Amino acid sequence: MSHRVCQIKALAGLSVLELYRRKDLIVVFVLCAVILLPLMVFTPFGVSGASRYVNEMALLLVWLFSLVIGLGVSARLFPPEFESRTIYPMLSKPVARGTVLAGKYAGALAASVSALAVFYAAYGLLAGVRQGVWFPAVLVQAFALHIGFLAVVTALGLLGSLVLTPSANLTMMGLTVTGMLFFGQRLSALASAQAWPGRTVLTLLDWFGPHVEFFDLRQRVVHEWPPIGWDVCLAVLAYAAGYAALCLMVAAFAFRKKRF
Amino acid sequence: MEVVKLEHVSKTFGTVKAVNGLTLTVRQGEIFGFLGTNGAGKTTTIKMLLGFFRPDAGQVSVLGQNPGDPAARRAIGFMPETAYYYPYLNVRELLAFYGGLCGMAKADIRRRSAELIARVGLEEAGGRLLRHYSKGMLQRAGIAQALLHDPDLLILDEPLTGLDPLARIRFRDLILDLRRQGKTIFFSSHDLSESELICDRVAILKQGSLVWCGTLGEVAGDGQQNLERIFLKMLGDAPARAVAGEPVGEERP
Repeated sequence: MSHRVCQIKALAGLSVLELYRRKDLIVVFVLCAVILLPLMVFTPFGVSGASRYVNEMALLLVWLFSLVIGLGVSARLFPPEFESRTIYPMLSKPVARGTVLAGKYAGALAASVSALAVFYAAYGLLAGVRQGVWFPAVLVQAFALHIGFLAVVTALGLLGSLVLTPSANLTMMGLTVTGMLFFGQRLSALASAQAWPGRTVLTLLDWFGPHVEFFDLRQRVVHEWPPIGWDVCLAVLAYAAGYAALCLMVAAFAFRKKRF
Repeated sequence: MEVVKLEHVSKTFGTVKAVNGLTLTVRQGEIFGFLGTNGAGKTTTIKMLLGFFRPDAGQVSVLGQNPGDPAARRAIGFMPETAYYYPYLNVRELLAFYGGLCGMAKADIRRRSAELIARVGLEEAGGRLLRHYSKGMLQRAGIAQALLHDPDLLILDEPLTGLDPLARIRFRDLILDLRRQGKTIFFSSHDLSESELICDRVAILKQGSLVWCGTLGEVAGDGQQNLERIFLKMLGDAPARAVAGEPVGEERP
């Protein structure tokens, strides 16, 4: 194993261990179980078709929890290192700042994805029990794209953790991501209906904002629509990788310039 | 061989000149005491030695290399002034993490960790999370992490803070033993008596400028002077000179 990979593994392991030792994930898992399980066994008004609404609510909660975990973990990556000064012994070791960033990002992503896998496994099992269809292709795609969503969210959170205070970071990134999730698709239409300067602002947001709505396959999963083409799925994942890489490059620049 | 070399180094933060034209060298195998009052520029100098930031002017080299280069830090062990480590780890996990950052093999990390944990007297607390450690115990964990990769140069920023008398004696023995092994120790401290006991040479910093640098032999040969008196004299302000037994009204060169 190369020296750099060894360093990234050590840094990522630390982030994952922190998340589990701080018991954040346990709280989320308990919440997930408490909310998902009753929802999944419950048939509203005795109408079997209404279970789709229940599934939709369950998936919405999975998205909400994944956003909370992804942003929560990534927003806490650097501020405690600066506050408790553990950044000094860390950077005194033969490790490049870019490697520190990559390791921290890998750890946050691994921790968030491991929690997401539990959510999707629970959802897949319970939906299978109710509908008799076990882990359909569309659910696998939804999971893959959800990982792409987390890749973007954790990269944004990490970037914010270097330039903003933790609370400002959580608020700003949380609003941006949820805003884009619900209105991202309509941004270009909204922009064209506005006069200057609103049009410019919305156009810029449309061009540079994180289009997290690309990763949302909830409707397809809930209504049991056929899966999207795998080429489209890969293109969206490539968008996630590119956007995350861009955020990490800006974060690397900010980290290099950071004085502590 | 010069292990640390600073040439006309200056660093300014806003309007505050933290380090002002500092020139000094530290030779291989010596314990170099770096003394000064709070805000004298000791920690800023150490941060430049570790490559955390570049000087505004002058040159810094450590073992002939630019300390900003990660490869140059392979030979440096650093213990920070305030030793707060990850509270959710135990000392073995802490050392495993730092060993991973140094690119050490797992077997080497295990062997070296066990050796150092015993050396700093933390065997019994080895499985406890660091959040339950006292300040002195954290300092000892800090010493262990600094020595983990067997560095040639050890930079210690106020290492005696929080250590009890027994731990101080252990620490002193450890430092002297490291010197016997040919290691170089750059030792920043407020503790003049301890510095006098273990340092081969000392430098005194005042408001970012070097005001005195010499061997402890020179201190001993300076009449009735000891390091404390030299230190107080070099501070140059009236209360310090009064303590040092000098006429307060006299203008100093």
